[in-house]
Amino acid sequence: MRKIFPAEELARDSRFIRQSNEQRMGDPRGARIAGGNAGDALAKLTPGLPNGPDRARALMHGIFVGEIQALEGAGRTCWDFELGDEAPLALKLDMARQCWDEARHCEISVVLAEHMGTELGEYAENALLYEAACNPDPVLRLTGVNRALEGLAIDVFNTMKEFGNMAGDPVLEFCEDWMLADEVTHVKMGSDWLRRLTENDKDRLDKALEFQKVVDRLFSFNGFRGEEDDSPIQLTRRFRELAGFTDEEIDEIADMSRDARSEAIT
Amino acid sequence: MVQVSVKPESFEMVLYDAAVIGEVVAEVAERLGVDEAITLNIDETSPLGRSKILSYDPIDLWVDGGALENTQRPRNFGQARSRDTIGRLLLRILDRRSGRFDDAPADDELDLSQFAAWDVHNVGRLERIGLGGQKKRRLYQFRNRHGFTDTADAAFEELWGSSELSWAEIERISVGCRP
Amino acid sequence: MTDTKRPREPFAPWDRRSLPGLFDVDETAERIGYYKWVEIKLFEALGGWVATVPELDVKLRLGTHCYHHAWHAELFDKRLPELREMQTERLTVPPNDHMVEFFESMTEPEAAHLTIEKLVGVYRVLIPHKIAAYTYHRNGTSEITDMPTIRILDFILQDEFNDWREGEMLIQSMIESPEELERAMSHQTKLEKIMLAAGGIAGPGSIGDPYVEIVEKN
Repeated sequence: MRKIFPAEELARDSRFIRQSNEQRMGDPRGARIAGGNAGDALAKLTPGLPNGPDRARALMHGIFVGEIQALEGAGRTCWDFELGDEAPLALKLDMARQCWDEARHCEISVVLAEHMGTELGEYAENALLYEAACNPDPVLRLTGVNRALEGLAIDVFNTMKEFGNMAGDPVLEFCEDWMLADEVTHVKMGSDWLRRLTENDKDRLDKALEFQKVVDRLFSFNGFRGEEDDSPIQLTRRFRELAGFTDEEIDEIADMSRDARSEAIT
Repeated sequence: MVQVSVKPESFEMVLYDAAVIGEVVAEVAERLGVDEAITLNIDETSPLGRSKILSYDPIDLWVDGGALENTQRPRNFGQARSRDTIGRLLLRILDRRSGRFDDAPADDELDLSQFAAWDVHNVGRLERIGLGGQKKRRLYQFRNRHGFTDTADAAFEELWGSSELSWAEIERISVGCRP
Repeated sequence: MTDTKRPREPFAPWDRRSLPGLFDVDETAERIGYYKWVEIKLFEALGGWVATVPELDVKLRLGTHCYHHAWHAELFDKRLPELREMQTERLTVPPNDHMVEFFESMTEPEAAHLTIEKLVGVYRVLIPHKIAAYTYHRNGTSEITDMPTIRILDFILQDEFNDWREGEMLIQSMIESPEELERAMSHQTKLEKIMLAAGGIAGPGSIGDPYVEIVEKN
């Protein structure tokens, strides 16, 4: 088995249809995100929207395939790096733990998809998340995946949890709350490893934080994830603080989302 | 064959073929017993799934491009989704023409719960003649509008399984299960 | 009223634990180092394979089992300093080159259509050998001096049995033709031969020696 497994070869059964980044970003109608569309007027994802339930269904499917890729990414981090200087045992153990969590998240997502009336593979899959997990430097990989993407997962799960609460859907709210707890743990893992592995290497720290910014920007969705009242996915300060983000770091993501939003409008 | 006019005739942003769309609309119309001319306006710039009836007579429909899209292959035409979208619109027209819906509010006055309840009744009927389905998707929408309760689920089953309800009956079932 | 001065045996009548055990401290540390090496190699492989298997249920099981074996490695890692080995990496080694070869062969299959081979290597060859070696160790070591190891092995064996059962059922569910059966058997034989040369996951003596030396008397 090779080290570094390419995203285009991720193994899937016939139900899953892959949409390339070029296809996704090249859609002249705007990239589809959070069950909505980047070109739409922004609105927080709530059951009160006419298409709220359908957007939640689409988002749930996105979460499901995201969980598969997160599982695959964590698994590859167990395999791709040599034990020792490249990746300490404790880091690999954390990634193995994350594998288990992500596998359970996949199972939860399957049950939720069924609950929401979504078939597996009903929507196209994009492998952008896994691609961030292909970085050859474990520090950059963990920063991109655990801090940027799992950080996004915190925002998404909290939004979905609130959606379930507003809709009076006890199943959705219950499941999202549990997944949210795991995601805070994963983000904290990323924060802890970033600090430990770059303690005496400022250059590597800077590169990792830069990579995180690139990933965060990619997933800022033209301002779809932010702190404004009408941001479809709400940036979640409280849980990010628990996960090791500083106020300045959260401000930076909020600013990035605002910038992305302004760029999308102009 | 039902005469279907698709607007626009060619597409720039999606990979749709007006002739194929026309065939699917005609097929659905024939299955439902609609034999008059239909105009279908498509906003190809929107990947959302909205749809509405611009005119009941003559039949003039409007949809987001996304309402006809294959969700597995964005920008590509999806037959199953299109049958569902067009089928629901045509059934609503047939319902309103039947006399059983004379007391129903105008489309733009229907609230989300009323829409959801009527849609359940429409999609249940479509499924029984082999046009679409996605029962669980409709159940989830219905629950979002009527509550995640056994009472709401029982109401859903009544709407789904009934053959030709009147507006008064749909409204009674919908109101009766709301929290 | 209870007579608190009445003497009792230190070992209750039903407590049959005894001394000594089969392994001294150094031997125990050495074996645990081998076990830890095997668990690390296994969880790394399971993690790596997740992306390569298209079967959704297998993918999720591999992700779950990956953590089980990582946890086993962690338990062994924590046990080593208690056995006077402070540099735990020093003993985290394979028992011999054959075991290295075994893992190279076991992790060779990568293509999406080779799920049967991947599962056979783990669930029909490696895990049965792990269960055997751990059981031998668990039953042979002293329940008094080495109870911490026994406690660890008991937890681990519980996982191993459960994981073996799940893996075996996945294999049975995937073999649907004589050709697939042949693939499974052939891959198992190939790996078993290497394991035979290795002498088990802890090298020769992994499960002791059941044969009796007969001394010529006449």
